[in-house]
Parts: sequence; structure tokens; C-alpha cells
Amino acid sequence: MVEKQSSVKGLGPGFWPFTAFLALLAIANSYFWAVTPLSRWMPTAVTVATEIDELFRVFLAVGISLFIFILGYAVFFSISFRARKDDPPDALGVQIHDNHKLELWWTVIPTIAVILISWASVRVWFPIQIASASTPAGLVVESIGHQWFYTFRYPGINGEVTGNMHLPVGEPVTLNVTSEDVIHSFWVPAMRLKQDMVPGLVNVMRFTTDRVGRYRIICTEFCGVNHGLMNKQRLIIEPKAQYEAWYHHWQIKNATASNALPQISSAPIDLSDGSAAAGQVLFTQKCSACHAIGPFSQRIVGPGLKGVLHDPAHPNLLSGKPATPANVADILQHGLQGSYGQMPTQVQNALTDKDIANLVAYLNSLK
Amino acid sequence: MAVASLPHQHAEHTEGGVDRFYEETRDLRLTGFLFFLFSDVVLFSSFIFAYLYLRNSGQSWPPPGIARLDVAFAAWNSVVLFGSGATMHYALENWKHGNFNKYAGSLIATIVLGIAFLGGQAYEYTHLYFVDKVSWAGSGIFGASFFTLTGMHGFHVAVGVVYLTVLLLQSIHGVYTKDKYFGLTAGTLYWHFVDIIWVVLFSIFYLI
Amino acid sequence: MAIAATHVGGGIADHVHPEPQGFIRRYVFSIDHKIIGIQYLITGFIFLVLAGLLAEVIRTQLMNANGGFVSNNTYNEVYSIHGSAMVWLVVIPLMTGAFGNFVMPLQLGARDVAFPWLNMISFWMFPVAGLMLFSSFLMGAPVAGWTEYPPMSLQGEAGTSMWCAAIFLVGVSSTLTGMNFMVTILKMRAPGMTLTRMPLFVWAQLATAPLSMVATTALAGALAALFMERQFGVPFFDPTKGGSPLLWQHMFWFYSHPAVYIMILPAFGMISEILPTFARKPIFGYKMIAFSSVTIALAGFTVWAHHMFTSGLAPFMQLPFMIMTFVIAVPTGVKIFSWITTLWGGKIHFTSAMLFAIGFVVLFALGGITGVFLASVPTDLHLHGTYFVVAHFHYVLVGGSLMGIFAGFYYWFPKMSGRMMNETLGKWHFWLFVAGFNGTFLPMHWLGFEGMPRRVAVYDPQYQFWNRVESVSSYVMTIAILLFFVNILVSLRRGKKAGPNPWKARTLEWQIPSPPHYYNFKHVPTVYGLPYDFSEPLPYRGLDDELNDAPAPVPAGAH
Repeated sequence: MVEKQSSVKGLGPGFWPFTAFLALLAIANSYFWAVTPLSRWMPTAVTVATEIDELFRVFLAVGISLFIFILGYAVFFSISFRARKDDPPDALGVQIHDNHKLELWWTVIPTIAVILISWASVRVWFPIQIASASTPAGLVVESIGHQWFYTFRYPGINGEVTGNMHLPVGEPVTLNVTSEDVIHSFWVPAMRLKQDMVPGLVNVMRFTTDRVGRYRIICTEFCGVNHGLMNKQRLIIEPKAQYEAWYHHWQIKNATASNALPQISSAPIDLSDGSAAAGQVLFTQKCSACHAIGPFSQRIVGPGLKGVLHDPAHPNLLSGKPATPANVADILQHGLQGSYGQMPTQVQNALTDKDIANLVAYLNSLK
Repeated sequence: MAVASLPHQHAEHTEGGVDRFYEETRDLRLTGFLFFLFSDVVLFSSFIFAYLYLRNSGQSWPPPGIARLDVAFAAWNSVVLFGSGATMHYALENWKHGNFNKYAGSLIATIVLGIAFLGGQAYEYTHLYFVDKVSWAGSGIFGASFFTLTGMHGFHVAVGVVYLTVLLLQSIHGVYTKDKYFGLTAGTLYWHFVDIIWVVLFSIFYLI
Repeated sequence: MAIAATHVGGGIADHVHPEPQGFIRRYVFSIDHKIIGIQYLITGFIFLVLAGLLAEVIRTQLMNANGGFVSNNTYNEVYSIHGSAMVWLVVIPLMTGAFGNFVMPLQLGARDVAFPWLNMISFWMFPVAGLMLFSSFLMGAPVAGWTEYPPMSLQGEAGTSMWCAAIFLVGVSSTLTGMNFMVTILKMRAPGMTLTRMPLFVWAQLATAPLSMVATTALAGALAALFMERQFGVPFFDPTKGGSPLLWQHMFWFYSHPAVYIMILPAFGMISEILPTFARKPIFGYKMIAFSSVTIALAGFTVWAHHMFTSGLAPFMQLPFMIMTFVIAVPTGVKIFSWITTLWGGKIHFTSAMLFAIGFVVLFALGGITGVFLASVPTDLHLHGTYFVVAHFHYVLVGGSLMGIFAGFYYWFPKMSGRMMNETLGKWHFWLFVAGFNGTFLPMHWLGFEGMPRRVAVYDPQYQFWNRVESVSSYVMTIAILLFFVNILVSLRRGKKAGPNPWKARTLEWQIPSPPHYYNFKHVPTVYGLPYDFSEPLPYRGLDDELNDAPAPVPAGAH
């Protein structure tokens, strides 16, 4: 049974005026995002945040404009091509199956859009994630996630800093993050950056602070019953002088008896009877965040340690001394402030003398 | 609507000597069985990925305190298993050519070699556990990955040994004919799959 | 396309099982794909109600910034089971087990799926797995979300191990169904139905089935590893024993990204059937829609690490995952444009099914657009782990998948039951649902940008106003869904008789009685064209006796 077909003149009544209306809305939307900085809703505290915001605004302009057309046409076609009450019951729509030219265009144009979005994203992505690795590290700071608070480590300050995190304004910073227990995340919305704090890994964030202020630090990775409360600490970006004062305060605070960690023993450690197997477990727990078992050049924070005690080509230790078990133990005991950052002391790493013996035995077993 | 109930006759399926119903359902079952084997490959692949990922994450290998695995012993055990693959192949070929006795002999040889392989694995496990002190849960990621993967494989071999024994008994009871023997085909495919998995496991645990 | 050869007798198409006798064989342990499909439908809807109640616990807790409706720990259990249930006990079973089972064999002109007995086993694993999952509340349910990242999940109470076992079981069900459907679609099409004459719903199931079959097995490995580590101490993920938390994320997301395509592709197929039927014109761009479904399914395996951009992936690894995620937007966009062009020039009838189908296109598109923000690494660094992500996936899974399920239900209910749904209630359902849905999930976009993290039982007071808007809106959504269930119950008893083809649709399921006889077709038809051309006669031969008094086909004896 052949049913009657309907026909449509052009693209239907009102199509072009309506398209013009949608285009106007889209242009207004794009203009709005072009002129409205997102810092109106969330400040930007670091230089890269402004670039990320620009990318956001491009997506908002393009994405919402696209949605305007999708919603617009869906509603318009639904209304304008609705079956009327006086239509015969077997009335049909236009029996077209496809239109190769149209389909080609609406494949090509989104493909070009994908290429453009990719380029726009890579443009912002590359400096943040790749190029930053070869720029000067600046101030190297650590944050450690705990259930349910952050602690911080600064070069030259013993132990850990609690409470708010301070940074000087206008300076490059390298922030290494890890966790002591479960996965947390370190997010400062004003930075537009976050990295997960994964136990056993050290993740890195590199940025340059550029706006004084107090900014929330928020955990965004479920970490237990008080995950929703892990947002009380602030990142305080302040002028250099005030930062120095805060820094000094913590240096002193962590050096006094009530807050100080126990003293490092002065005698060299007895390295006989070290267990390499126990040393490997310790290494994974305490060292693998910063050192890989790999060649010297395979650096996470400190150098790779596979060949440290057996590779004749291995350079001297960063303390300047030859790589012997006793000299390695010495670094584990006393720590080292060197060009790569701070190697914590035995006390900061909570290593007993026996632990050091085990670690040295483990390093000695790597061939 | 009356529904007549006629007794089923194979003749109504057969045209020109071909049982269409059997051929079509065999096609379905073969395709389904191959998809099943493929998904089993994916299961092994997920653990193989886990092993390679963990091994690659900066650890020394084998970890200190753990001796290198006994490649020679495992190589002999592999020969046993691959040999059983050959005997399985001959079993199916002999069935297709109607040589029941040779088929049965080859199938029994396959089962025996499969059991021998499992015995070899049992020996290796007890040696690792009691002599080398390597355990499933207590030897870090080495014990975890080695025992999990070879254990999964051994489980598949054990299931295969049972399956082949069932096939042998079924064939003795006349379940399969010269033209209809899909169970034997499936058994052969399964056994070869178990062999191929072992090739991969042997390479990644013993050779690299 | 070549004209099909005349049908040669004696094969599967001529093999009819005798009608099952007795209540147990007919309705409990049935091997009939239609009954199994309805069993999946009922079970899936029961879990929809349970998981939806959990959602209302979530929204009620979030009315107040300092919580108080339930304890923090209970809240964490609630959202974890809510997510797990919605993914594995509601959307995936409804999309594949319910609609796939009922409709697909009929659309193929087949008498059943390839392995009917396996189909029954697959079904019965599903309610058992569901009971197992909900029983975890009695033993300390998991708290780390449906993603259960270690080390948190290593510390969870016994319910976390039960979660592993429950999801493993429902995963086996899903894998077997995927395999069953693959073989059915590849091997059991009616004579003359080449792949390019298949309805688009079947194409969607064909694209989905390999995902169910392959990706789910990868999840099984991850779940087994987590279970072994929790129960036996075997180290895979614990960093203090040499394991890696990131390993879990890779293994989990390698499945779970394809899983979201399992949850949406069948809906794409449903929409592609419903829009042409109620616009009275062919689907626009059949080949592109079919082809793009397969492309999306395959490409879906290559993007999993876009869930891990902040986890500690090597930075250069982020690049291919970001680019591939953008690339998937192209075939998806093509579909959306094709669907809208299907509306153009139509004679559109606004049945409930059609309203939900059009709503699907718009709301899913919005969800897809917000996906771009998450696909791009620089913007994702800000948005990951916030309510923006929650907004995105609820737009695609509720505005998308769930609305697709509603659309499919309104469309195929007459075929399943022989009765029509009440259209007035249907329209109330639609408009209340759309209003409630947008009120609930739209504000989450800016809450996320402005700093509200996800998975929090309590939150900063600055977000309270919009959270209250969202919670009240969610109650409106709940009322809408209640109306839907009332409609089903009323229509089953008093709905108008539907007849074989109330929608004047053209696919094969509409050419046989409603509900179909147990044997589906008296004679398996021959197909010689696509079903979407409304001005042509139906492209089938051999259907003459389906709607008259001609006797049922002769059943074969037991094999």
C-alpha cells in the first residue's frame, strides 16, 4: 500500500529567520565569554591559571553555541513539522534517506573542530606538563596527604609544617605531592591545577605564583569518612618579606625541643647483618617516592640508585665522597642538602640504625 | 490454533545427505566457543598486563632474596605440554579418519601428558614454597603474579583434563559419529588455547 | 543488494520448540528470549527503584551543608552502592538483557537467540548478583564509590569483598549475553537480511556485544585481583608491598570506559527506531549511524586513561588519550545531526516515546559537550573529582541512557503486553522528569568549577543554596518516575488493546501479534530491503499468515 508523501518548500517555513536568531544567540554567547574573565567566579592565583581559563572560555563559547543550535533546531523542527489535526491519518514526512553532501560537511567540519580543539588544548598542555620539567625548579616544596589533612615540607625546615601552606608571590614553585596512607588529591581551585597524592608515587605540579591571597586547598579524591572535611587548610600567597617571616618562624619552631624530632646519633652505623629483603620493603615504602631503581640519570627527585654501589662508572655521591656502603649510610643518617633537593635525615625519615643497615644491604645487592 | 505434535525425525532436516539443522547449530556453537576462548584470552591478558606493569615499575627482577626460576625444569615441563598438544591434534585427525583405536590412544596420551604437566607444576610449586620460601602472598609482586598466572593456567589445564576424559567416555559410548563430533573439535580447540597461553606465560616468566 | 536466495528448509529457522508447559517452565525458568527480556526488565526496574531511593538519601543529606540526615560513613556506603547498582544492575541489564533480548531476535526474524539455555542462566545470575550487592549493607558496604580505588578499597569492610563477588557475577552474566548476541546477530538473521538491511537497533546491539564480551572480562581480572589481595594478602595494589594503586585504575578503567558505551549504544539504536516511526520518514543517514556505532565501540577501547589525567600518568601519555577522546566526538556528533535531520520534514506525532527520544537527543548532546571540558587535560586538571564530573555523567546516563530506556519502554510496551500506555500520564512523566532532571544536575556544573568536590557527605556552606535547589528538583524527578510506574501498572490492567502495529512501524517485530506467539513467526520471512522507507511496501516476503488463523508451525520433538 503506497501512502501519500508530503513535500517541503526549501528548508521549511521560517527556517532561515530562525537560523539567524540562533546565530545571534550564539554570537552573543561567544562575545560574553570573550569578554568575561572566569576570575569573576574564581580567582586565579598562578600564571598558568589565566591560560587555562582562556581555554575554558573557548570551550564555553563553542560548546554552548553548539548546544544553542542543537536545542534550537530540535525544538523548531518538532514544532514546525508536527502533524496537524487536519492531516490525513496516513500522512508521511519527506522520504529522504540521506544527503551525501550534507553528511560530508557535517563530518568534515566537526573533524576540523576536533583538530582545532586539540591544537588549543595541546598549546596549553605542553608548557604545563612537558616543558615545565626543563625549566628551573624554583622553590621545591612537598605536600603529604594524610587522613584527613595536609602536611608540608620545605627545604631547610626540619620535619613537617602543619596548618596553612605559605608561598612567596611571583616565584616559580615545584610542588611534589605524595600520600602517607590512601590516595588523596591536592587541589587549589585558584590554581586550576590538581594532582592526586598517591602512596608510593610522587606527582609534580609546577607553577609560578602571581596573586597575593588566601586560597582553599581541597581534597578531591575519596579518602575516607572525613573526606568532605579535608578542605580547611589554606594556601597563602604573600609578599616575599612576609613569607620569609613565616618560614623563619617554622624553622625555629621545628628546631626546639618540644617539637623537634629525636637527635641523630653521632656514631657511624654498624652495617653488618643487614637484610637485603627487609631493605627492599623499606625502599619501596620510603625511598621509591624520590628514587628509582635504575641508572643514575633516571631521576624522580633524587638520582636512580641501581648501580650506586656496584657500577664503576657511577659518579661520586652528591656529598662529594666515593660511593661506598659507609658513605651511603652516612647520607641516610645525616641527610643531605644538595643540588637536587633535600635528602631527609634518618630522623625525618624515621629510620632506625637497623633500617639503614638493611637499606645499604639492599642497595649492595643490586647488580 | 491447533498445534500438531509430530515425533521428531532427523530425515526432515536432511536434504541431499546434509543435516542442515546440525550444520547450522554446529556453526553457532563453534562461533560461540571461539568467542568464549577469546574472552578467556582477555582474562589472562588483564593479569599479564598487571604483571608486566608491576615488573616495569622500577623494581629489580627477580627481587633480592628470590632465586631465578628454574628455566630448565620448566622447559621440560613445557615440552610435555606441547607434546600433549600434538597428541591431541592426532587424536582429532584419527577420529575424522575413522581410526577409533588410534584416536583413543592419542587422546589417552594427551590426558596423561596433561596430568604429567600438572605434576610438574605441583613439583615446582612445592620447591618454590618449601625450599626457596616463595609464597603467593608473602613474596611481594613476584609471588603474587607468578602464582596467580600459573595457577590460573594450571586450573585451566585441570579443567581441560577433566573435559578430555569426559570426551573420551562419551566417544566410547557412541555420542559422536564420523560426521558429528563437535565436542571433540571444541576439546581440541580448548587444549590448543591452553598451550598458547603457556607459550606466553613461559616467555614472560622464564625467558625475560 | 542481491535478491535473497529462496529459503532452503530444514535448518534452525524451521526448528520450533514445543510450547513450554507449566508456570515454572513458562515464566520462571524460561528459555524464551521474550520472557527472559521481560524478566530482565522487571528486575532492572526493581533495582532502579532501590538505587533511586539511595539517590534520594544522597540528595536529602546534601540539603544541608553540615549533613546530618545520615552518618558520613552511611552516606559513603549509599553513594557507592547507588553508583554500582545503577551501572551494573540497572542500565547495563536493561539496555542489553531487557531490550536486547526482547526486541533484537524479533527484528532479525529469528525464533530465539543462538543459545537460549545460556540466556536463561545469564538472566538468573543477575538477581542473585543484585541481592549480593545490596547485602553488602549488612556487612559494611564499600565506601569508595563504584570505582573502589585502592588503598581505600583494601581497607574496606567485608562488604567490599562482597562487592567484588557481586560485580564479578553480574559481569559473567553480561559477558555471556554479549557472546550470545554476537553469535545471534552474525548467524541468525532472516534470509536476505544482509548487515546493511538490519534495523539500527540491531546494529547498536552488534556494536555493544563485543564490548560486553571483551571489556567485562578485563574487569573480572581486576575484581579477582582486588578480592585476592583483600582476602589472602596477595599484593597487586598495595604500594607498601610493591604493588601499585595506579594498576587498579588502569585495569578498572580499561573496562569501565567501554562500559559507558555499553550503556549508551543500545539507546542510540532505540532512538534511531523511534524517531523515524513518529516522524513518518526514514532515519536520516542510516549507513553513517550504523558505521559510527561500530567506530565508537572500537575507539572506546583507546581512551580509558582520560579518567586518570591527575593520577600520575607519565605526562606524555596524556596526549594520545586526550586526542582520541576528542576524536570520538566526531562519530557521536554525526549521529546527533542525523537524528535532528530525521525530525526535519517529518509529520511528527508527539507520543511519550517520541518526547523522550527528542529529549534524549538534546540532553545527551549537552552531556557530550561537557565531556569536551573533561577530555582536555588543562581544563580537566581543574574539574577532575568535582561536581562538574558528576554533572557530566548524569547528563549522559540519565538525560541519555535513562531517557532512552523510558523511550524504548513506551515504544515497545504495546508489543510486550498487547496494551497501550496512558499517554496523558506519559506526558506528565516526561515534562516533570525533564524539569526535575535539569534542576538537579545543571547547577552541578558551576558548583564543580567553583570548588565543590565529589563524594562528600558534608560540604562548604557557600554551596548550600544550589544544593537545596538540586535536592528539591530531585524530588520532582522522583514523582515523575512514580507516575511512570503507576502508568505501567494501570496500563497492564486497563490499557487499550494495542493490536500488532499501533505505531504503523516497519521493522519485523511490528508485523506479528502483540504479544508475539512463543514461536515468534509462523514462517521466517525473507527480507529484501531496509525497513525505513514509508512510501514503499514492506520489504518482506512470507509474512502473509502472521496475523490470521493459519496454524502454528509444527514443533520438532525433543533433541
